[in-house]
Amino acid sequence: MSWSYLWSILLISLHAMVPITLTAVGEIFGETAGLFNIGLEGILLVSAFTGALAAESGGAVIGLLTGMGTGALIGFIFSVINTYWKGNQMITGIGINLFALGFVAFGLIVLGAPGFHAVPAESRLVTIRTPVGSISPIILVALALPFAAHWFLKRTRLGLILKATGESPEAADVAGIRVNLVRLLATTFGGVLAGLAGAYISVAWIGSVTKEISAGRGFISLATVVFSGLNPVLALLGGFIFGFFESLATWIRNLPGSKAVPWQFIAMTPYIVTLLVVAGVIGRVRFPKALGKPYIRE
Amino acid sequence: MSTGIPNNRLRLLERAKRALPALNPALESLLAGIVGLLVGALIMWIGGYDPWKAYVALFRGAYRDMYGFASSLARGTPLILTALTFSICMRAGMFNIGAEGQVYGGALAAVTVGYFALPSGLHIIMGLIFAMLAGAAWSLVPALLKLTRGVHEVISTIMFNWIARFFAFYLVANVLVDPIRAEKTISVPASARLPILVHGTDLSYGLFVSVFFALVIYFLLWHTTAGYELRAAGLNPTAAHYGGIKSKRTMLLSFILGGLGAGLAGATIVMGLPPTYAIYSGLPQLANVGFDGMAVAMVGRNHPIGILIAALFFGGMNAGGRMMQIIAGVPLEMVRVVEGIIVVALAIPELVRLFRFFRNRWRSLRRREPA
Amino acid sequence: MKRILTLLAVVLLGISLVGMIGLGNGKVAVVLDVGGRGDLSFNDMGFKGTDQAAADFGLEMVEVQSATAADYLPNVRNLARSGEYDLILAVGFLLTDAVSAVADEFPDQKFAIIDGFIPDKANVMSILFRENEASALVGALAGMVATHFGYRYVGCVLGIEIPVLYHFEAGYRFGIDWGVKKYNELGLAIGADVGLLYSYTGTFSDIALGKAATEAQLAQGAAAVYNVAGPLGIGDLEAITEYHTAKGTTFGPPYYIGVDANQDYLRNGLHGIASGMKRVDHGCYNAVKSVVEGTFHGGIVSLGLAEGGVSISKLQDLVDFFAFGVAAGAVDEVDFYTTLANWSANRANIPPEIWEAVDELEAGILDGSIVVPTADSVQEMQAVRDQYPLP
Repeated sequence: MSWSYLWSILLISLHAMVPITLTAVGEIFGETAGLFNIGLEGILLVSAFTGALAAESGGAVIGLLTGMGTGALIGFIFSVINTYWKGNQMITGIGINLFALGFVAFGLIVLGAPGFHAVPAESRLVTIRTPVGSISPIILVALALPFAAHWFLKRTRLGLILKATGESPEAADVAGIRVNLVRLLATTFGGVLAGLAGAYISVAWIGSVTKEISAGRGFISLATVVFSGLNPVLALLGGFIFGFFESLATWIRNLPGSKAVPWQFIAMTPYIVTLLVVAGVIGRVRFPKALGKPYIRE
Repeated sequence: MSTGIPNNRLRLLERAKRALPALNPALESLLAGIVGLLVGALIMWIGGYDPWKAYVALFRGAYRDMYGFASSLARGTPLILTALTFSICMRAGMFNIGAEGQVYGGALAAVTVGYFALPSGLHIIMGLIFAMLAGAAWSLVPALLKLTRGVHEVISTIMFNWIARFFAFYLVANVLVDPIRAEKTISVPASARLPILVHGTDLSYGLFVSVFFALVIYFLLWHTTAGYELRAAGLNPTAAHYGGIKSKRTMLLSFILGGLGAGLAGATIVMGLPPTYAIYSGLPQLANVGFDGMAVAMVGRNHPIGILIAALFFGGMNAGGRMMQIIAGVPLEMVRVVEGIIVVALAIPELVRLFRFFRNRWRSLRRREPA
Repeated sequence: MKRILTLLAVVLLGISLVGMIGLGNGKVAVVLDVGGRGDLSFNDMGFKGTDQAAADFGLEMVEVQSATAADYLPNVRNLARSGEYDLILAVGFLLTDAVSAVADEFPDQKFAIIDGFIPDKANVMSILFRENEASALVGALAGMVATHFGYRYVGCVLGIEIPVLYHFEAGYRFGIDWGVKKYNELGLAIGADVGLLYSYTGTFSDIALGKAATEAQLAQGAAAVYNVAGPLGIGDLEAITEYHTAKGTTFGPPYYIGVDANQDYLRNGLHGIASGMKRVDHGCYNAVKSVVEGTFHGGIVSLGLAEGGVSISKLQDLVDFFAFGVAAGAVDEVDFYTTLANWSANRANIPPEIWEAVDELEAGILDGSIVVPTADSVQEMQAVRDQYPLP
């Protein structure tokens, strides 16, 4: 093993970390406020698609913005259904995932290139060259954002309001906080980040859209949120761990010689680690009391 | 009674009136279905396809003749079971998202019957039992984690889905692999296959297995004490706990039953689906059976009878979607789009009430306008 | 008034009847695998060939995708049941069982399957390719390039571990071994060992996995990466392009080796040195043609180097396939000459002795003096791996 191997693994890990961390931080906002969005996978998928399309006509930045807008839209619909319309969050989320799978595949076919659509090189986001390889500027965003989010949630009044709506919406309501509005904004913001993550995948990282481009990363983000205990900085760590093990598993498979360690077990590791964290083997995790329940004013 | 209607007929009317609210959920599902189909039609039209032609092909392909009907049933068979997995736990107040992984477990276990020989009937039964046990075992661990460490079942079941997936990859590629054809596991031998029910289709006796299981669950949940406790726990967890009912045992029971169902679903696929009767690398036949089952559960309002109907509907969409692709040229992913919208529409409770609300407002607006 | 309307109705009815009779053309159906189209290789070629045949022979074509593996049998059966199709063409090995079963149920229906081994049914034409021959050619090229430029390894990113892919792996191994030995014979440099890095990603659709696998192989010093996983090549090429960008190079190794279709034009021809072509389009075209001309017969049709079924990409192929790439949205028409120029410059970078050696290998395979091993089962593949370990 030489240094170049390690750098290579590190870089791949950083790239893989971005969508997971971004989505997880967004979901932390939503869950802190009390809404559980299992439809993240769907948001990732649709934003990757719309982001790629927009990037082709307007350039990479437009692509990323479109992805964010898409995520905001879906997040908005999700939160409206689950706040003002008192819907069921699980069911809405599952519906979004189903819809996204069909919509993206359908959209790809309508565009004439079924199954896959490449984003041309000019429409890709610029990369920053470093001595050991190129990284995307979004990686820097993903590294900085969790700290900003953590500060926001812990130290600002708005962050406190968010927590209140998640912990005890009745008390928050009495205190004059508009619970449903706060939840709406929080989850829509979560959608924005997930949308950015999705567009990142197609515009800045992999450079193409297939009907399964999200590859389960939405669910991995949910796991990361749990792992982080709703702490954005830990979500950064969690995202990196997932990205690391994912690239490690690929690496092991591509080493010369005998395939001693089955890669499938390495790929399993992040999920097992998350389970251990949640089970309290490694630290305990607390969720807001009112998470997952619609707020109905008595 | 001073009305001109004879007594017994009035009683019937009263009964029908009282039964109406019970139909409400069915009405909601129907309404959601219509919303889904309409939005789907809109998307198709935007995409340049002919929605009418597509839907005609879809429904004819699904229900018009015996072949189509049997195909729809065949597609719906595993969905009945995974839907029950979700619903049983839902009724007990839990979110069991783990059907996906439990199905993998069941399928893997069912394949192992290929390693030994038994007379036909016994072989099939062994396969089903192995599958059920595997599914239940896989479902049990998240349940235990919840009981002992308070782990939220949504997270644990999602994690277990992924762990099961990679573990299945490993087993399919390395342990259960067919020595001649590396892309699949060994096939379930002929003595362990569920016989085909309707010749020339892929509908197997797995249908009976599914329906039987659904009826058993119905009986269990609505006509036994344990079932009553389970449903009570779901309706009001606090009261059930203080009512002295053993909520822990109830939760375990719901997860075990759910796991049995999901494992059985894996078995019906591996032992019932021609022509290969094996698991392919990458698990393509098993993927999404768990998630689609959840959609079926919701449309079926978490009731076994509703689930049977919903599974027929979803199975029909799937089978008909194939004909829609051939005849109308609409990609079958459209079916997924429609399903997704239906589910989202169902997420809004009392959709009917919402519908009535909008209708009343519309009417009152119109009444304000001068004649 | 009424009479005129009735007359009009009759005339319209008559026209539509005639129209319907006029539509009594032949129909063919092509059934695709789960990956579906958009792979710029296998499935797209299958579609292209059938489409071309349908256009040339005036047939109607219906395309059927399979959402999951459970759809294979019903899709094929639905098509056969309708009785409307002169030929049902299944593209992909995974459809073998389904075609086999339905062919028995409908003995009058003609089937053709690409890569499926169904030797003994009169109504099934089983079109197989000797991919090991083309893979040997690209393997030799890769091996020689690696030795020439001082790289320790050659890479290969494969898809699902199916027997068809064993053909590729076996031929590639043989080719690398032959190439390195040949290079030493030519005395162009002191012989260094060249090892093979390979992995079966287990997917024909997860492009990210292809990119990650390629990155891993490049980091260990692979001079060229052979894509044997359909659309994953796009990810492979991404990884190679980024590697070059990071190093500040454009031409030269590491190279990308495409598969099935000619993929040399991708990214304006900067890094694609060659493709192991598998003319699925010809196979499909000829199958349809045989039905139209009445020469259809069941059994195996084996296409290799001699029949033009497989080959290593040459200049003419680049020209031919450019339009293919434009249609798929992978490249712009205006870039034609740039691509041509880049590709030629890339190839010119490699000493002519190497190209001659590849030609020599090709001639040897064609006249039968060189036999390329192949594998159809796990044991056979293991035997080839033992014979050419390439550590």
